[in-house]
Amino acid sequence: MPDLSNLPYEQAIFYLVSALAVGCALAMILSKNAVHAALFMVANFGLVAVLYLLLRASFIATIQVIVYAGAIMVLFLFVIMMLNVQEADPRSSRGPQDRLFTLGSLAPLLGLGLLGALAYVALGVKQPAATSGGLVFANIQDVGALLFTRYLYPFEITSLLLLVAMIGAVVLAKRR
Amino acid sequence: MSEDILLIVIKVAVLIVILLTVVAYTVYVERRIMARMQSRIGPNRVGPFGLLQPLADILKLIFKEDLTPAGADKVTYFLAPALAAITGLAAFAVIPFGNTIDLFGIKVNLFIADINVGLLYLFAMSSLAVYGIVLAGWSSNNKYSLLGGVRSSAQMISYELPLGLALVSVVLAAGSLSLGDIVKAQANLWFIVQQPLSFVIYFICAIAETNRAPFDLPEAETELIAGYHTEYSSLKWALFFLAEYMAVITVSATAVTIFFGGWQGPFLPGWLWFVIKLSGFIFFFTWMRATLPRLRFDQLMRLGWKVLLPLAALNLVVIAGLVAAMGG
Amino acid sequence: MSTEVKVVSPAPMTVATPLKDAAAVAARINEKFANAASVVDGSLMVDSSQLVAVATLLRDDPGIGADFLEDLTSIDWPDRFEVVYHLYNLTRQEGPLRMKVRADKADPRVPSTVPVWPGADLMEREVYDMMGITFAGHPNLKRILMWEGFQGHPLRKDWKEAYFEEEKKPFDQRWPEGALVRAENRTPFKDNIVLPSGFDPTKYTPPAEDNVPLVEYNQPLSGEMKSQTLIVNMGPQHPSTHGVFRMRVRLDGERIVDLQPVIGYMHRNHEKIGERNAWLMNMPYTDRLDYLCSMGNNFGYAIAVEKLMPDIKVPERAEYLRVIMAEFTRIVNHFFALGQLLSDMGAFFTPMLYAIEEREWMLDLFEMASGSRMMCNYARFGGVARDVPPEFMPLANKLVNDRLPRAIDRFDDYIATSEIVLARAQNVGILTKEQAIALSTVGPVLRASGVPYDVRRAEPYSIYDRFDFDIPIGTVGDVYDRYLVRIAEMRESVRILKQALRDIPAGEIFAGRKGWQVKIQKGEAYGRIENPKGATGFYVVSDGGTNPYRYHIHAPSFINIGALGTMAKGHTVADTVIILGSVDIVLGELDR
Repeated sequence: MPDLSNLPYEQAIFYLVSALAVGCALAMILSKNAVHAALFMVANFGLVAVLYLLLRASFIATIQVIVYAGAIMVLFLFVIMMLNVQEADPRSSRGPQDRLFTLGSLAPLLGLGLLGALAYVALGVKQPAATSGGLVFANIQDVGALLFTRYLYPFEITSLLLLVAMIGAVVLAKRR
Repeated sequence: MSEDILLIVIKVAVLIVILLTVVAYTVYVERRIMARMQSRIGPNRVGPFGLLQPLADILKLIFKEDLTPAGADKVTYFLAPALAAITGLAAFAVIPFGNTIDLFGIKVNLFIADINVGLLYLFAMSSLAVYGIVLAGWSSNNKYSLLGGVRSSAQMISYELPLGLALVSVVLAAGSLSLGDIVKAQANLWFIVQQPLSFVIYFICAIAETNRAPFDLPEAETELIAGYHTEYSSLKWALFFLAEYMAVITVSATAVTIFFGGWQGPFLPGWLWFVIKLSGFIFFFTWMRATLPRLRFDQLMRLGWKVLLPLAALNLVVIAGLVAAMGG
Repeated sequence: MSTEVKVVSPAPMTVATPLKDAAAVAARINEKFANAASVVDGSLMVDSSQLVAVATLLRDDPGIGADFLEDLTSIDWPDRFEVVYHLYNLTRQEGPLRMKVRADKADPRVPSTVPVWPGADLMEREVYDMMGITFAGHPNLKRILMWEGFQGHPLRKDWKEAYFEEEKKPFDQRWPEGALVRAENRTPFKDNIVLPSGFDPTKYTPPAEDNVPLVEYNQPLSGEMKSQTLIVNMGPQHPSTHGVFRMRVRLDGERIVDLQPVIGYMHRNHEKIGERNAWLMNMPYTDRLDYLCSMGNNFGYAIAVEKLMPDIKVPERAEYLRVIMAEFTRIVNHFFALGQLLSDMGAFFTPMLYAIEEREWMLDLFEMASGSRMMCNYARFGGVARDVPPEFMPLANKLVNDRLPRAIDRFDDYIATSEIVLARAQNVGILTKEQAIALSTVGPVLRASGVPYDVRRAEPYSIYDRFDFDIPIGTVGDVYDRYLVRIAEMRESVRILKQALRDIPAGEIFAGRKGWQVKIQKGEAYGRIENPKGATGFYVVSDGGTNPYRYHIHAPSFINIGALGTMAKGHTVADTVIILGSVDIVLGELDR
């Protein structure tokens, strides 16, 4: 693999990709067409994968593409296409019969709260040096070792959760 | 530093030109072989032995009218063939197709990038290849295209799992995800000898991934007209064509790299061995296309989920046990 | 290669058939229903007010047992309409009973027999469309061959085909003021067609059922589950409908809930053209019906007309030549049908081309005999057009004794051992024995469902009573059985051909006087042969004139297509394609 540690304009690439990622995320939210929204989300995942690459985390980057862009979003698209979701009309959901209407008015509040929390976390964390090559997720062995030693319980619990969700989905689908 | 980048750019450019030519002549060779199998002659009018036929075809495709259906989603309709072709070409970047050669005093490695997660990168590209097909099916605003797109996404997702599991068992034995390392691990014994079951599972899944006979359901002509690319014409259609044959070449090259010792072989230069092995696979693909009827969709899904996936999982467990037992 | 097809040899019928004896049947009916039936010119004439009751009796009375409605058509007489039924019994292998029902000119109305013989469905729709006779109680009485906005009923004598049948030959209309006006500038909306009053073609939209949205939401299918059904129009432009043929398929997911064939895209009013032509002029027109089996069609038409020429005795050699051609036609057709079936399954043309390779050899023979490979125009009333050249027999012998048996075996070996073919074809598109009879199916479709009925054996025409052959039948009635039956029939054809080529005598090939016109006596005749696709019947009515008064074709493709919905229900779209392929249709005779 060619040595990219001294890649020029790394900062520039980082800012460009980040800006694009944020732009894609915004476009996803603002897009009325469900398929277009899904596509913007895929683009966002791809750009985030590039950010991982800039962190020399090629493993995480590829996994990001395979799992999120390659598997999850394909299923999303699949469902959208099967159900033939029409363009969202914001007026159609507003009506007295909409029980979630009152809950919906809380959404901006919750969103602001989330944003605040994120900002707090982001400001609190010390920025790692941009060229530090010693990050633990640099290669597969390190990731594997960490997963099966330090983070064994969270890892196993997560997999158990997914298993439960999967079985639950199967049971629900069968009952119909 | 900048020389490195220049070298990479040159290599990418050369590789793309070579790949496009190879795709064009794969089509030609396929038509000739299939014609022989069907007691026909095949294209033999353009140039000696019809060797200029691919050129004529490409020219014809360029000059064809480029249609966009009235109800199509224009942007997506335009994007889909590009996505299909890009993922098809990009996948080849990690495949080592020869040993290091000396060219004008510069040592040139015959691969674009030997990244340490090469195999995963191949997966990533093949999983992205679904988008081209799905989006083409959706954006054409045609029921046949839609059904073709839905079918292919279901098919590719289903067969990626056993395909991945089959390859993971090789990775366990080789101890690396880098394709270069996997090739070097086969210096003495090819993995086809060591793990024949992995190869069989991989190859069946690879056929399904590339939508070729007998798993060519997304473009089943007799049911869905041409499936996802029913509405496409001209160069957009050519890009789908390119993507399909690129996929065939890529899965064949992957099979050569992972199971058949890659470019290694006695006497002849490495890249020639690679080409010979690759041709064998392409011939096999052609042979199957000329021979086998097509499975029905539910039969295809049943094969994937109820036969190949358990088999691949079992295979993985057995091989992991063996590797652990031998202290690998 | 062992096939799972049963091969049976039902005894040729020897006793006098009650079904053919219209007087006895009429007496039996009148026991139950006073004065419901009489005999007119050898046909059973039934009072239309009691038609359904009489039909039920005909079907269910074990003494009559007319369980198979082969053909239903109509005649436009100057003072009345007649609906004509041809009835058979398939277990006793006898018939036909010709039953007629009269309807008055002003408001022709006849009760529908669909409840008795479900196979009457498409045939009654055709009569309604072409002759304008209303069938009271028909579940879906719509036009079938003509388009919905069409005015008039083309087979009525008072309906004049634009241009061709107008009183004066309107050359001034076709080339007004001597200038050529292209047809596309004139049809379909200009003065070459009669539009219904108040109909504006520029504002025409198809009826709602054809104009459905992509997805119809929430159509409850079963009791508890609400699910969407999707309507897919397969065709008329579709690679696997074998021509311009449309299937309206209603899908629940991938499962077919309902399938309706929509035909008529290739309709050219063959029967009306036949009434306009002199008797002999129709011979080349029959080539264009089932264009894969033109030899068989010629044969059938000749047999029907020769029934009205009692003083003509076809010479021996001509009979042998006709049989040889008919059996080669069967092999040609079955090869083609099986190759097409495999193509429909997705085998990329390889079996198709192998089949066509064999077919070419037999087309060479046809070319030697008739001068044409596909549109043979070979039979004549009283013989065949010309004798075969000397090089015919060596090639025919070589094919029959050497090449074809091997080719059939190879083809069978290739398919019968392919696991994918078995997975695709077995237990798909099942048609039970009872359904096959009720839906009036004919040919390999009927036999694959386990009914050992073959016109060559049940009602031996020409010289078929001399040959030793068996009738293969299926056990399940699925696509695979239809395939096996066709393979076995090819082998039987080879057997017949071996005997025919061995026994063919020298001598005359034509009886009577050669001429442009033939003298046909007054009367009616239903002549039918076992064409490769099934029993093909020619119903001709003569008033003693130069043209047929009525010329009707019972086309196997048209009849078998009526069973498509039954076969396809519950299967997937992919299965529909191979079910259609296993029925083996040709649009030329489907739409006529």
